[in-house]
Amino acid sequence: MIAQALLSVLLGGVLVYAWAEYRRSPLVGALSIVAGLAGLYFVWMPSHSTLVAEFVGIGRGVDLILYLWVCISLTVMLNLHLKLRAQQETITKLARSIATANLAAAQEAPAVTAEEAPQPAPQPAAADAHTSRQMRGQSA
Amino acid sequence: MQRNRSKSVYVICPAFNEARTIVGVLAGLTGQGYEIVVIDDGSSDGTRRVAETMAMTVISHPVNLGQGAALKTGIDYALSRGAEFIVTFDTDGQHRPSDIPRLLDALVRERADFALGSRFLGGAQRTPVLRRLLLRAATLFTAVTTGLRLTDTHNGLRAFTRRGAAALRLRQDRMAHASEILAEIARSRLRYVEVPVTIDYTEYSLAKGQRAGDFVMILLDLFAHKLRR
Repeated sequence: MIAQALLSVLLGGVLVYAWAEYRRSPLVGALSIVAGLAGLYFVWMPSHSTLVAEFVGIGRGVDLILYLWVCISLTVMLNLHLKLRAQQETITKLARSIATANLAAAQEAPAVTAEEAPQPAPQPAAADAHTSRQMRGQSA
Repeated sequence: MQRNRSKSVYVICPAFNEARTIVGVLAGLTGQGYEIVVIDDGSSDGTRRVAETMAMTVISHPVNLGQGAALKTGIDYALSRGAEFIVTFDTDGQHRPSDIPRLLDALVRERADFALGSRFLGGAQRTPVLRRLLLRAATLFTAVTTGLRLTDTHNGLRAFTRRGAAALRLRQDRMAHASEILAEIARSRLRYVEVPVTIDYTEYSLAKGQRAGDFVMILLDLFAHKLRR
């Protein structure tokens, strides 16, 4: 009974998550709802899992639950993949804005002639290499 | 006529670590009257610096986003600058600048909005066998999913009118963008035409090109794109 209550709470959480997810990805949301409801059903009707398993040709009820769990895991993975893609699209928009803004700033900036450019102060020999590395890093 | 028209032709050159080849590619494009826009896609080999020394317009992505994202950046920029025609041109050295006028002429002559280069029309080529098979499979996939009747679906050399480019809603950052462009052409219901072009395969371009495994990722990307609103 304790296990049933605990599993019911967890599967209820899955259903709430699936409902929230349905707006963004209907297919993933629907699959999660079906999986959650099936899980709840078998938690409270464990003997039916064997009947259903025999009906679909799996054999044991526990195997059916295992297969359902694999399906749930794959659905979650698919959803994570979709979320990563959505984040990538956001990053792309940000990067594109930065790139075009940088170009616009470079085109608007007045050209600096060799005479106008500030002359670097003399540096000790040991500091020259460090400075040149920084310059390369900035222009790369 | 050619000279006047070239003033509004923007050639978009996406580049990721192409320092070895980009000088030759850009040298071949200069002097034709085109506005050349290099999209440096987060290169780490000095591609941006090399392009800038050739006095090109260079837009640099701060991080590597993918060729699809680079093309979208270039197309958006060209449209914002009033481009009448937009050409996409790879920087790995496999395209010939001499094919660009043929694409542009086809747009005008056929009153089309999209001119798509095809390596399988006209002139002889030495497409590697595996690549030929993959491209044939992609052609079949495109025919089934979009209804477009094409001979070459993954050719980076294309030309769009301003209206055609504005109609493309591109969201695929990586290699699936080629399939997405075709799907968008089909969705737009605008006129398209295929034009024979030559692909010069080199060890370098083949190494940089798509592999069999990439097509699996392309299918996955396209599938994932359909699932999310």
